[in-house]
Amino acid sequence: MAKADQKEIFCSIVVPVMNEEENVRLLHEAITRVMLEWGRSYELIIIDDGSTDRTFDILHEISRHDPCLRVVKFRCNFGQSAAMAAGFEQSRGEYVVTLDGDLQNDPVDIPRVVEKMQEGYDIVSGWRKNRKDKFLIRKVPSKIANRLIRKTTRVDLHDTGCSLKAYRGEVVHKIRLYGEMHRFIPALARVEGARIGELVVNHHERKFGKSKYNLSRTFKVIMDLMTLNVLLKYLTRPLHFFGGLTVFFNGLGFASLMALTWGWSQNHYVEDELNVLMSLTFLLFAAGINFLLYGLIANSVVSTGEKRDERLYEFKTYGN
Amino acid sequence: MATELQNPIRDADLFAPDDGHQSNGRMSAEVQVSVIVPVFNIAGEAAVIYTDLCTSLENYGQAFEIIFIDDASTDATWKRLNEIAQKDPRVKLLRMRSSFGETAALQAGLQHAQGERIIFAAARVRVNMRALPKLLRKMDEGHDLVVAWRTPRQDSGLNRLVSHAFNWMVERFSHLRLHDINSSVIATQREVLENIVFYGNLNIFIPILAARKGYRVTEEKIEQQNGAFRQSKYVSEYIQRLLDIITVIYLTRYSKKPLHFLGFFGMIFTVAGVVMNLYLFGYRILGFGGIAGRPLLLLGALLLVIGLQMISIGLIGEMIIYTHAREQKEYNIETVVGA
Repeated sequence: MAKADQKEIFCSIVVPVMNEEENVRLLHEAITRVMLEWGRSYELIIIDDGSTDRTFDILHEISRHDPCLRVVKFRCNFGQSAAMAAGFEQSRGEYVVTLDGDLQNDPVDIPRVVEKMQEGYDIVSGWRKNRKDKFLIRKVPSKIANRLIRKTTRVDLHDTGCSLKAYRGEVVHKIRLYGEMHRFIPALARVEGARIGELVVNHHERKFGKSKYNLSRTFKVIMDLMTLNVLLKYLTRPLHFFGGLTVFFNGLGFASLMALTWGWSQNHYVEDELNVLMSLTFLLFAAGINFLLYGLIANSVVSTGEKRDERLYEFKTYGN
Repeated sequence: MATELQNPIRDADLFAPDDGHQSNGRMSAEVQVSVIVPVFNIAGEAAVIYTDLCTSLENYGQAFEIIFIDDASTDATWKRLNEIAQKDPRVKLLRMRSSFGETAALQAGLQHAQGERIIFAAARVRVNMRALPKLLRKMDEGHDLVVAWRTPRQDSGLNRLVSHAFNWMVERFSHLRLHDINSSVIATQREVLENIVFYGNLNIFIPILAARKGYRVTEEKIEQQNGAFRQSKYVSEYIQRLLDIITVIYLTRYSKKPLHFLGFFGMIFTVAGVVMNLYLFGYRILGFGGIAGRPLLLLGALLLVIGLQMISIGLIGEMIIYTHAREQKEYNIETVVGA
């Protein structure tokens, strides 16, 4: 059944929701209206990420009347990355569009982002230029985070956090979404070689329900950024990353050794100082060698991993 | 298996007559409950365990099978079990070539089990085998996994103390409010065991891993019987149990994001090391005196090195997950409805 449908569906819409009982009906209506007007074949995949209220019951009820709706219910709350990953795996469309379940994104933008993709992008991300959120707790941290993300991942987006994004189906099946990486899907896709564009989209105030955002995640975001940075730059050559640390520590060790020999030959140091410097030298050299070994291990990890030659590419032949 | 990729309502409409016929057929013939019992040197008790299990399960009323797994016993256990199995076709026997432990026994038993419901009850724990259907009744109430809570306990004070400490830690870290997670006696759906990854000695963590996957986990009191309890002769076994607690924390919280775990400690060490060395650097530059003899120099360098190593290991972990664990899913789907 799934195989036969595969070619027909033009656009899959993936929406993760959690405890949005007031919003889901409106969400479904809004998306359905836009999609019917647009006239392309579509499927709507809503992922219920462990709601504890009536969200699933309402969705189940709607799904009886709407053949385009599929509802995926999680056994418990697994987080937005997992919800997105599940939605991506379920999706069959040529294009996949994600948006938030809280109606802050405007479904009217769905056709716009998909049409923007015709310019040759693999991902088009929404940009909430006029954000309708609280200034201090949402907008300011978001600005800082976006600058940081732009600097470290070199993915040139103004608003990585915007949930409204369109992907080519192929891209969605290629990216590996884990942990809390949904924030950085464009960067993850860049690891695989995707081309990324941007489009200004509408943004509304939240009508019902509560926001699930909290500030305490900053540390995790920084760690994820570090991971991404290493994946982006060094996934194919991890020894270069760890080799840098090796050179750094061995250099320090060498400097320490020089200071030690010089002081010793000049009778400059007392015995205590010689002891400390000697220990320092050993420590630094040991550290340097350790990092070299890490690099070697990382090399074998990467080389035994899945085939890395399956990056996204365009294939063209000329002539006959 | 894991996901029900069908619309329950539509399917029910389409296949209504067929479905009824099928479930009728299943009632009479197919095994519904598989009891997996790892045994080790229990020649004297094999017959009692068998009769206890049979009477109680016959009372419960679902078709069952008993799979004894002899973990390479050195006494007459295997012989006694064979005598039992010859008389009763519901009994299956497996014998390990050498002692592999309970997790291996569970995995082997699971491969040969036909029932949709699995009871795992190691003979060494000495719970009252006649009370096992209580676990099934609890499952009937809509739970996916039921752990036996050994109470009142009969084994040694030291065992109990270690067990208490363990459960307390587990409660703190996994928010699973159970009294006796490590009882090694559980009843569950086959689906649950097929959906979680357990290896080594992780079978005692199955309730935690299952709860983490979103299954409904609960407990039921079962009394423990008197008898000769094995008490560890080695301190190392208790130390291993303490290390297991770290395993729990890591498995439940960070296994898919190693850098969140290692990066936290790595950052603390790195920053502390950098601060110490910057202080010494300033001290030297501003001419307060030499620093070559200052032990703080060594400590600072050491912390910096350890910190960066932790972060590096975390990054290697992330690389492993990115390149090797692509097929692993972090979610567990209960149902899919609709198109």
